[in-house]
Amino acid sequence: MTVPTQKPARKLTMQQRYAALTHDLDWDPTYVAEEEIYPFTTFEGIKVHDWSKWEDPFRLTVEAYNKYQAEKDRRLYAVLDGFAQSQGQLSLTEGRYMNAMKIFLQGIPSGEYQAHRNFSHLARYFNGPGARFASLCQSMDELRHAQTEIHTLSHYNKYFGGMHDWNKMSDRVWYLSVPKSFFDDAGTAGPFEWLIAIGFSFEYLLTNLLFVPFMSGAAFNGDLPTMTFGFSAQSDESRHMTLGLEGIKFMLEQDEDNLPIVQAWLDKWFWRGYRLIALVAGMMDYMLPKRVMSWKEAFELYFEEQMLNGLFKDLEYYGIKPPRHVQWAIDEKEILSHQVYWVLYQFSHAAAFTTTIPNEEDQAWLESAYPETWPVFKSVVWDKAQRVVDSGGRYFNPGLPQLCQICQIPMGFTEPGNPLVQCQRHSIYEGERYDFCSDGCQWIFDREPEKYVQAWLPVHQIYQGNCGGPTLPDVAVWYGLEPGDAGEYIGSMDHQDWLKWHASSIKEG
Amino acid sequence: MSVVAAPRPVGVDLQENEETRAIVEAIEADNDDLTVRHMPGIVRLTKEGQLVINQESVEGRLGRPWETHEFQLAMISYFGEFVEWDDDRIVIAWKH
Amino acid sequence: MAVVAISDYKFPSKSRQELYGDDQLVHLWWKGNPYFVAASCFRFPKAMPFGDLVELCKGFFSADPDLDPTAFDSVQWVIDDKPVTPDLGASLEANGVGHKSLVQFSI
Repeated sequence: MTVPTQKPARKLTMQQRYAALTHDLDWDPTYVAEEEIYPFTTFEGIKVHDWSKWEDPFRLTVEAYNKYQAEKDRRLYAVLDGFAQSQGQLSLTEGRYMNAMKIFLQGIPSGEYQAHRNFSHLARYFNGPGARFASLCQSMDELRHAQTEIHTLSHYNKYFGGMHDWNKMSDRVWYLSVPKSFFDDAGTAGPFEWLIAIGFSFEYLLTNLLFVPFMSGAAFNGDLPTMTFGFSAQSDESRHMTLGLEGIKFMLEQDEDNLPIVQAWLDKWFWRGYRLIALVAGMMDYMLPKRVMSWKEAFELYFEEQMLNGLFKDLEYYGIKPPRHVQWAIDEKEILSHQVYWVLYQFSHAAAFTTTIPNEEDQAWLESAYPETWPVFKSVVWDKAQRVVDSGGRYFNPGLPQLCQICQIPMGFTEPGNPLVQCQRHSIYEGERYDFCSDGCQWIFDREPEKYVQAWLPVHQIYQGNCGGPTLPDVAVWYGLEPGDAGEYIGSMDHQDWLKWHASSIKEG
Repeated sequence: MSVVAAPRPVGVDLQENEETRAIVEAIEADNDDLTVRHMPGIVRLTKEGQLVINQESVEGRLGRPWETHEFQLAMISYFGEFVEWDDDRIVIAWKH
Repeated sequence: MAVVAISDYKFPSKSRQELYGDDQLVHLWWKGNPYFVAASCFRFPKAMPFGDLVELCKGFFSADPDLDPTAFDSVQWVIDDKPVTPDLGASLEANGVGHKSLVQFSI
């Protein structure tokens, strides 16, 4: 036996460890052609000359990834336990707050799972080891997000309606076709388009708007578990944002022919993502009993300031322009949440959440956040809805709405400059007429009509008899709705329970 | 090593809790003209040009070893680009 | 522009008229009244007289408590952006209402 005489190796620097454990584990194939191993990275037209130029600024290795993710989960589960033990659901601001979480649970974990699957695909099929490893980490993150979201909200499922069949609902219910079709659209694109769609346009440009003010709102409304999983997930998002940014810069630096392809994807996916998070606008401004900031403020802070005045100035260097329909989004910031919540209010009889007319306190807040537009909306629609309630009724739309072929949201968005007239756009393709809510959605259709003629539009499917039957009660059963899930909040099962829980605590106290 | 940064704001949103207080203090000490905004659960730090997080400053305030990877546990979001992420420091800036 | 894809990419519309037999989808839109947040979608027989559609509107849109149903006797109908004077006894089809047409009015 020989005694080793050399000194133990010096500890590697972060940069060396990253290189050794990601890039250096790769090899060049010898007996199989590269395009046979990686068959999906050429058809989209993106030209890549040197995959080794892809670097992960986080310099993550498997070891570091596991270590920090485990720590994040430990912290989250400690909070969940404490919340459940202390009957934390009783300390929410109000029972109606939970409606925002119902929409979150019904819409988001399935999307996270879709993201998991597609990043897993990238982790297998990208040619470069740096891109593959970053995608692998994101794939595992997305699975973690789906699991922690479901696990966190499962506590509330014991006490509130609307959360029992979230996965069936995410497949079937009309408003949940909005996120579902979004991820189906991205997942059926090629790997580079997926990366621009989800990694860049959604994660970098837009998810701050979904997570940051919303989770801060959870903190403000006594919802400790949601705040904790939100921030835990969002700490992964920072890596995802980086992957998206790295991805777009990599494509732009590899070949100048990539610029027009990337720009068109960016134009498309900004608008797709922006329309998707319109639901968040309605939730933020109308469904949180206590608000941190308005949709308009969040949009100005997290989109206009950070992205338009920060990121896009940076991307100008490569010839990238701000997204094609960005001005429309800016113009809508004063009215978006009013319109979305008005959709949710009048169709909540067919939904797995409840809604109610903003109370006096809500209205005072809306007036201060939207001094120009709230008074108009109030006088045109809410005063009338209030009169219906005062006479013992509740306004629900008696029909099924016209849906946008692309975003699948009921066509309640209005013409720029005229908040009282809905925007109607149409294209004829192969003799058939298709409807759109905006120039943005119409532009997306006209670019790839073959893709979007296949859209599974909930209203059309109901009329074809594919959703359980011809009447609303038939459809509600097929959706998985149970008594107490839908309709008006005041007087609902959730509302009655909430009053009962708090009345008894006063008596006992 | 200095980083050439474009003169536009960059920033980072951190969880506001005991763990990150030392990090926030370290960033405040090492970055002049930092803007700090508090929201429920969040502290938002923004600065013109570049924002630096030094391992030594954080360790000095935490009183224990701290790997720069640990910054991921504190971070909720950021804007700018990680132009440097090494053992001893993290730098956020716009490259162009 | 064709979809960039790994193979031929051609699929039928999921909402083509033939899926509705002798019926078709029709959108009714009260333009300028956001109380109905979006136009409404109906499945109507192509052969349904336009007059039946007018009668249906009187009931349907009375979900707005301010509606005076007699207003429908004098509204200006617009079918797919063209102002028309419909023949109430003739079918939707004969009046130019096609699959997914937009039938609008203002009051």
